[in-house]
Amino acid sequence: MTLTAVNLELRKTRRLRVVLVCAVMVAAVVALTCANLMSDSARAGFDDPGAQPWESLLMSYVMVTAMTSPLLVAVLASRQVDIEHQGQGWMLSQVAGLRPGRLCRAKATVLGALLAVAVPVQTALVVMAGLAAGITVPLSPGVWVQYAVGLLLVDLALLCLHVWLAARVENQLVGMGVGLLGAFCGVFSLLMPPALARVLPWGYYAVVSPLRMGDDGFAALTPGYGWLAVFLAVVAVLFAVAGHRFDRTEA
Amino acid sequence: MNDVITTHHLTKTYGPRTVVDDLELRVPQGCVYGFLGPNGSGKSTTMKMLLSLARPSRGEITLLGRPMNRETRPALLREIGSLVEAPPGYAHLTGRENMVIVQRMLGLSDRQVSRAVATVRLQEHMDKLVRAYSLGMKQRLGIAMALAREPRLLILDEPTNGLDPAGIEEIRGLLVSLAEDGVTVMVSSHLLDEIDRMASVLGILGRGRLVFQGTRAELFDRSTPDLLVDTPEPGRALALGVPAVRSERGLRLSGLGDDDTAALVRRLVGADVPVHGVRRVQQSLEEVFMDLTGREGLL
Ligand SMILES: Nc1ncnc2c1ncn2[C@@H]1O[C@H](COP(=O)(O)OP(=O)(O)OP(=O)(O)O)[C@@H](O)[C@H]1O
Ligand SMILES: [Mg+2]
Repeated sequence: MTLTAVNLELRKTRRLRVVLVCAVMVAAVVALTCANLMSDSARAGFDDPGAQPWESLLMSYVMVTAMTSPLLVAVLASRQVDIEHQGQGWMLSQVAGLRPGRLCRAKATVLGALLAVAVPVQTALVVMAGLAAGITVPLSPGVWVQYAVGLLLVDLALLCLHVWLAARVENQLVGMGVGLLGAFCGVFSLLMPPALARVLPWGYYAVVSPLRMGDDGFAALTPGYGWLAVFLAVVAVLFAVAGHRFDRTEA
Repeated sequence: MNDVITTHHLTKTYGPRTVVDDLELRVPQGCVYGFLGPNGSGKSTTMKMLLSLARPSRGEITLLGRPMNRETRPALLREIGSLVEAPPGYAHLTGRENMVIVQRMLGLSDRQVSRAVATVRLQEHMDKLVRAYSLGMKQRLGIAMALAREPRLLILDEPTNGLDPAGIEEIRGLLVSLAEDGVTVMVSSHLLDEIDRMASVLGILGRGRLVFQGTRAELFDRSTPDLLVDTPEPGRALALGVPAVRSERGLRLSGLGDDDTAALVRRLVGADVPVHGVRRVQQSLEEVFMDLTGREGLL
């Protein structure tokens, strides 16, 4: 049944342009992240480890993704969920035995799979742009992979929250507003004290950052994986409970 | 006759408001059951409870001879085609893509789907986006979705909403022919005239209560025709406190039984009011309906 539901969601993505939205967002992230590679001051340090060219690129990647990911997640969730409100899809599915909670899980699965492709591609493109621009300082890929995984996990958690929000609040402007707010919070969480960033869902974009701005350049930082695990577990429980409750609400 | 839908004490309350009150529905097998009631009388709420889209506050539902509960629900829902409130359909997909979704959801065959589409005569429009459908086409797509599973019971909430007279006539013919094939059809409307021509059994809701259930003939039998009293001096009769309204040639009284009529005549004659004639006028079905459900709006 779950497999059928996922299959149906794939069919519904037709003409919804979620892949296009994703591709445009990836392109924008790569462009914004790499804009600084063109400056003369940056180019001067491409062969100087002391100038930290890779760290600088990764930090701008962290900042750009913290700002754009909340928006991307909000847009994807709203596009995939709004069709059920518009087309009486909740009722249509329910009288076929497909309950709304399962419908939401199927939507999160399909969109999550899309993000699971988009995030690695986007990260690889940024690194390739750095190489192409001429950074000759040796690259340490581990930290990039680490961040990409953390980013994807936070994206997936927020995706679940947004799918739920889009399903419960019919007016999709609300979800978009929350996404916009999230974009602000995401960026500012990089400047917040970590304790504050950990109470905001978007603060986890900062929690998974492997770098911080030190007094003299960028310093390595161990991402707060313990906190991330707690956050993911809380979201998973909330999403499961919400789905169960959603199954019991009335049309 | 076997009943396909029976309910016992079926009740729905929202907070302090009782919107469906103690319904005892009996929908016989193979009929078109017209479910009538003014706006807000509880038709959609009742149908949602039948389809498990809303939980009854009280009471039991038996469908197709089986009690509706957690265990029987999935199997029962598979045998019921439905259309509640607005017709379903994903606007960004074509009619065909929408039908494929329903097909996959229920595991139906290609033949079942194409038959349903042919029944509502939507074949030429299957490759158009539903966004570009007219309201009538959307209604027909919704009915095709309900029909594709070859249901034994169809529950349709105002399926003719927004259709032109030709469209209404077409749906009416379709439902009657489905009933002839043995499908039980429960169809709601707030327009008596629309339902009267297809339904063989009527259930009439007023403020959440079932005020009538039976055939059209039984509905007429139950109603009391108005009484016309011809008198040149209606003012004097009214001064006696007779519950009447003035009419062209005297007075008009409604809801008066035989004994009450005799008492009225005795009273008028006793008070020396000249009575030139007393006769009954048959009400139209619409008036009977209005009397049963209350003339004032319920919204
Ligand atoms: N979810 C709800 N919460 C509170 N009240 C509700 C809810 N759903 C319906 N009602 C109320 O129940 C009453 C019956 O509504 P229902 O939709 O069943 O009427 P209806 O007979 O289908 O009317 P219409 O002809 O307008 O479709 C209405 O007064 C409505 O306001
Ligand atoms: Mg209604």
